Amino acid sequence: MNNSYVEFRELQKSFGSTSVLHGINLQIEEGSFVVLVGPSGCGKSTLLRMTAGLEPINSGQISIADRVVNRVPPKDRGIAMVFQSYALYPHMSVADNLSFSLKMNKSPLDRIAEAVKGAASILQLSTLLQRLPGQLSGGQRQRVAMGRALVREPAVFLFDEPLSNLDAKLRVEMRAEIKALHQRLSATTIYVTHDQIEAMTMADKVVVMNDGRIEQVGAPLEIYDRPENLFVAEFLGSPSMNLLPGKVVFGDGTAAVELENGVLLPLPNKGDLQSDQKIIYGIRPEHIALADDENGLAITLTLVEPAGWETHLHADLAGVTLRFLSVDRVNARPGDPAHLAIDTRQLHLFDPETGRRI
Amino acid sequence: MSETLNHQEQPVLGRERSSLQHYLRRSRRFLLIGLPLAFLVIWTSVPILWAFMASLKEPLEIYESNTFFPRSPSLEAYQTVLAIDGFGKWIFNSVLVTVVATIVPLILSILAAYGFARYFFRFRHILLLLYLVPRIIPRVSLIVPLNDLMSNLGLINTYWVLYITYIASAVPLSTWILVGFFKSVPKEIEESATIDGANMWNRLRYVILPIAWPGVVTAAVLCIREGWNEFAFVLALVTETGMRTLPYALYTLRDSMGVQNFAVYNAFTILTVLPLLIVYLLLERRVVESIVTGAVK
Repeated sequence: MNNSYVEFRELQKSFGSTSVLHGINLQIEEGSFVVLVGPSGCGKSTLLRMTAGLEPINSGQISIADRVVNRVPPKDRGIAMVFQSYALYPHMSVADNLSFSLKMNKSPLDRIAEAVKGAASILQLSTLLQRLPGQLSGGQRQRVAMGRALVREPAVFLFDEPLSNLDAKLRVEMRAEIKALHQRLSATTIYVTHDQIEAMTMADKVVVMNDGRIEQVGAPLEIYDRPENLFVAEFLGSPSMNLLPGKVVFGDGTAAVELENGVLLPLPNKGDLQSDQKIIYGIRPEHIALADDENGLAITLTLVEPAGWETHLHADLAGVTLRFLSVDRVNARPGDPAHLAIDTRQLHLFDPETGRRI
Repeated sequence: MSETLNHQEQPVLGRERSSLQHYLRRSRRFLLIGLPLAFLVIWTSVPILWAFMASLKEPLEIYESNTFFPRSPSLEAYQTVLAIDGFGKWIFNSVLVTVVATIVPLILSILAAYGFARYFFRFRHILLLLYLVPRIIPRVSLIVPLNDLMSNLGLINTYWVLYITYIASAVPLSTWILVGFFKSVPKEIEESATIDGANMWNRLRYVILPIAWPGVVTAAVLCIREGWNEFAFVLALVTETGMRTLPYALYTLRDSMGVQNFAVYNAFTILTVLPLLIVYLLLERRVVESIVTGAVK
């Protein structure tokens, strides 16, 4: 007996000779909102489908509520799934879509009517119950898909990239709705996405996956502030972190990293570093700022992208490109010289051999 | 000043150009689509109309003039056909055999097509190709061995011989059509039904079949047409007059009548074609309805 509600233990999966999951271990607490995030093909959707019972397990174990479900059919796992394509039954009205699972499970008619009414009222579908999915907008279809999951009163909600088919504005709205629904129901939720903004904004716990392995598990800001390895550092954050290879050099009581082009970047202290140690110097774009004085790093601006509330900038640092942000309005133009200040308290140092955080 | 003039002229020129382009586009569309379609409609409907008009003519009128419309239209030929001894039995035979040769192949091919479309098993593709073999081999080449086989089984001149051969001939065609339609139903919809607790039968009944309904109707129409129009097998495997179907009876009409009466031949033809036309029109509407209501979206 442990604290976890959903547990993956040494989970492996391969399609033919291609191995897609290499021993996944993960514990998900009851009522938490866990987001599996990673690039396409990292195995996150496969993991979700295995949890749902739609993909067989090669080896390892999945348990839900302390019950091993490896051989339990999908309908008996206590899960409900929302698909990327919504997967609504196109020939059935919204009401029939919502009630289908209850009808299949031979629920009493009054219970079906009550559940449909309840889900429709939570998701503002009451006026659309007689419509066919083809007569609904993208957002409404998404709500029906969620309603269909809701009526089953599952122990675990599974979402497979549910917002990918929506436009940017609707995506933000639905993101908030899903989060609000989770707060209301407090049901354990596993949510798959490749969108790091969704992962950061929605999750209690983010699971970053790559190439069939879990790279890091933690609270969104914890992962953002302390990425365990180069992959996580580069994957989370937009624009992504600057990762600059170099070697450690010690001066007169000071420490710095000398880049391959000879430029010195400051380090706050020596720490456990050795002289000449090869290192990757990571700094997020928001931790680099335009300096007012001329003491900073001399650079030439190469790209200025005003995004409204912030400006994305690219700079040339003796042949190396640096990305940084400014929340102030920037009047400079590409080609202008400038100076940069790096917030050395926010550095991330990585071992180039192992890719792990130092 | 000249700039102002240009500004005024441009919209007028633009309008003229756009209406010319519109006209050209419409003409091109008519040439590429409208004209071939019109030709096709004439090509298919004129023989039927011609037969219908000929069926309304007096027995000897057809020899006297080549006009399209009858001089004094009469239904005499139809009365003659309906009075032919055995005509009712032939219609019954045709309907019975067609109904069986539609329902049974549909049931078999729905199950087979679902398996081919959704389950991955060894030799799936080869099996599906083998399904086509009965359609590839010329039907005439099957007649002698089939006749031999059915004689040995004692099935000649029974409905069974027609059921077996018609069903065997319809299953491959409808299976191939349905595999395509079933494959086009998104896999996620079926997975969603699985999670919702539907077993294989319920998925097929409540999800797959309603979505692929236009495909089922298409397969049904083709089975009906095959069964209704079939000629080679019934000719080879049936000898008794009472076991004939309409196409066979039509074929033998010329010999059985003694006197050449083209009005009667054409009336018989029209009466043979009419039920099929009605079925076509009814089912075609159903297919269009189900597409319009979004069942296949």
